[in-house]
Amino acid sequence: MALLQISEPGQSPAPHQRKHAVGIDLGTTNSLVATVRSGSAEAIADECGDVILPSAVHYGADTITVGTEARARAAEDPYNTMISIKRLMGRGVADIKSFGEQLPYHFADSNSGMPAIETAAGPVNPVQVSAEILKKLAARGREALYGKSGGELDGAVITVPAYFDDAQRQATKDAAQLAGLKVLRLLNEPTAAAVAYGLDKGEERVIAVYDLGGGTFDISILRLSRGVFEVLSTGGDTALGGDDFDRTIAGWIAEQAGVGTDLDAATQRSLLDIACAAKESLTGAEQAQVRYGSWSDVLDRATMASLLDPWIDKTLRACKRALRDAGIGADEVQEVVLVGGSTRTLRVRERVEDHFGRAPHAEIDPDQVVAIGAALQADVLVGNKSSEELLLLDVIPLSLGIETMGGLTEKLIDRNTTIPVSKAQEFTTFKDGQTAMAVHVVQGERELVSDCRSLARFELRGIPPMVAGAAHIRVTFQVDADGLLSVAAMEKSSGVSADITVKPSYGLEDKDIARMLQESYTHAAEDIALRALREAQVEAERTLESMLVALRENGAQLLDERELNELEHAMEGLRLAHNGGDAEEIRRRMEALNKLSEPFAARRMDASIQRAMQGHSLDEFDK
Amino acid sequence: MATNLNHFEVFGLQPAFELDRSTLAARYRELQREFHPDKYVSRSDSEQLLAIKMAAQINEAHTVLRDPVQRAGYLLKLAGVEVPPEQTTSDTEFLMQQMLLREQLEEVRDQADPAAALDELNTEVQGLISTEERRFAEAYGAKSLRAAEESLRKLQFLVKLAHQIDEREEDLFNN
Repeated sequence: MALLQISEPGQSPAPHQRKHAVGIDLGTTNSLVATVRSGSAEAIADECGDVILPSAVHYGADTITVGTEARARAAEDPYNTMISIKRLMGRGVADIKSFGEQLPYHFADSNSGMPAIETAAGPVNPVQVSAEILKKLAARGREALYGKSGGELDGAVITVPAYFDDAQRQATKDAAQLAGLKVLRLLNEPTAAAVAYGLDKGEERVIAVYDLGGGTFDISILRLSRGVFEVLSTGGDTALGGDDFDRTIAGWIAEQAGVGTDLDAATQRSLLDIACAAKESLTGAEQAQVRYGSWSDVLDRATMASLLDPWIDKTLRACKRALRDAGIGADEVQEVVLVGGSTRTLRVRERVEDHFGRAPHAEIDPDQVVAIGAALQADVLVGNKSSEELLLLDVIPLSLGIETMGGLTEKLIDRNTTIPVSKAQEFTTFKDGQTAMAVHVVQGERELVSDCRSLARFELRGIPPMVAGAAHIRVTFQVDADGLLSVAAMEKSSGVSADITVKPSYGLEDKDIARMLQESYTHAAEDIALRALREAQVEAERTLESMLVALRENGAQLLDERELNELEHAMEGLRLAHNGGDAEEIRRRMEALNKLSEPFAARRMDASIQRAMQGHSLDEFDK
Repeated sequence: MATNLNHFEVFGLQPAFELDRSTLAARYRELQREFHPDKYVSRSDSEQLLAIKMAAQINEAHTVLRDPVQRAGYLLKLAGVEVPPEQTTSDTEFLMQQMLLREQLEEVRDQADPAAALDELNTEVQGLISTEERRFAEAYGAKSLRAAEESLRKLQFLVKLAHQIDEREEDLFNN
């Protein structure tokens, strides 16, 4: 095995070898996977030629089915068929109660904040259900990229709604981990749509992304400026979509055909199918012949427009609100992008064009556009494209804060701050000898903690006992490029780092994920151990490789002999552990090496910043 | 900390109050192109973590440098003077002026044309801000840190007032 490949910094270890990455649109109703092949991004179809995978999972006593087959069972076996599970991601049991009407499931008691649904296969949570959908999509991606023989994906970009909070994003990432996918990035859906149209290139502009699916409507106002994609505002309606169109047209047919209103489920279903077919044929034709039983009539575009307009009006009102929130006039929007199957309806396009005063982008299939944007970004992130292209800087959608006295929120990181971001906050003890304290992190814009979303509670332990107010604990909140929060703490005077126990309010703890991963393997424990060892070895290879590159580049300039010796010694230790078979030992050695190389890494950063800024003469500023 | 460099050094700049925004923006893009975590996805975990810290530090430096009040505060901090926000000034004349301006803001609602009155007030406050920024720049340039500190305190007052004017404008617009 080529353990230590040498590569130039910024390049993949084997530049000639294409990496295999996919983009995944994990939707409420439908999901898709896309990839870049021979330079262009395309959605990947299953063996039947369908690119759309219904986001439905059926749990039988022994088998789990995903997609069309699962969706078909929703009517006969609603309790065991999970649909629209995305609505439950990162949500607490209390939130679920507010959707209670629409969801037929039996919720089991669970000791975490995360809901569990009783099924024939035992209790499952939304993360596990989403993982099943992701596994199916990943398998489709592997087959497309490797053929039947199979191979591993190098990574995936998964899209999430722009308004998703930390808990919802974390739940999505957990689902990917459970599905065995390496997440390159969580990407906002509207940003992905804009990327699919190449709108990330070019001048500063405002983009509106109008996303009308089967059951949900989202409007996002984005601003691209100086290479930064900023989500200015989002809005929409979680219970409005093309299904409403079908129901309204079906109602019209029932009325015209005089079949009455008290209809059985089968009649309703067939009316809806006729309605949907008529709606679709009016995308091309001026009028459609509609038949039901012995009744037959013509549905023309004007009639359909009058039927659909009340729904479309609702979406446009949401657009107005979003524009107002963004502080942008409709005439300032330079690009409009259509997403979602329901934007195929001609009337929707006409009205959107009229509203924004410009023709919307609809050249890319609106069902596929988000997955295609994700695939393009995945291709860049995995290193198949030159690094000059496509840098997306995202912002945090909701402010992050902590609870203070009296249930008030103190904001630490404001919404719309470019991520990654990190903020430190100092805390002190209020009792003599106090060794622990609790911190409650929330996300939202409101002043009262009870009006914000609870993200997590942290307990700082191991604070050295001192008199009240003497300990200064510096807590660093860090949000990474996916919008996910992590926390570290240190007592300043003693330099002792306090242990932090994270208890996500609506999420899974690491040990839960580990347990679920374990459960998902049907084989014995050695499989898991083998996988852990392999993962540790791959990570060790990466670490050693980048250390070698770093040393070769500027080890001589930035390290003295003793430091160099110590590093080489630690590397040798890791190399030996790598060839042994103990995952734990590899992790330990790796951590030791990383710790030891921290000062070197910082010096390297300093040097590379100075290099990057070199050539800028300082008198550029003397104006 | 991913780097030991200060915010100005990160951007390859000498510490100074005057700063060209377009150059700052261009260098920001350049730095992000090099250090954003997206450029490190296939690297080792520790390098990825370092990239997150680095990008966060670049973002922080950018946030501080592009905002005149934060930039002024940071310059003084580098010079060893900490100026907490919400600090008061002892310049009674300045305080009187502030009170008058605030009264004016309160009375905008009752004016015949509130939008125009607000506009006028805004122009006045923006003018005061520019003047105070110039004073800070001169004082800092002349290394008279005490005068610079005094200017910063006044700037903090004025910028807060400007925010309140913005908020009032928003209220007017929404109703």
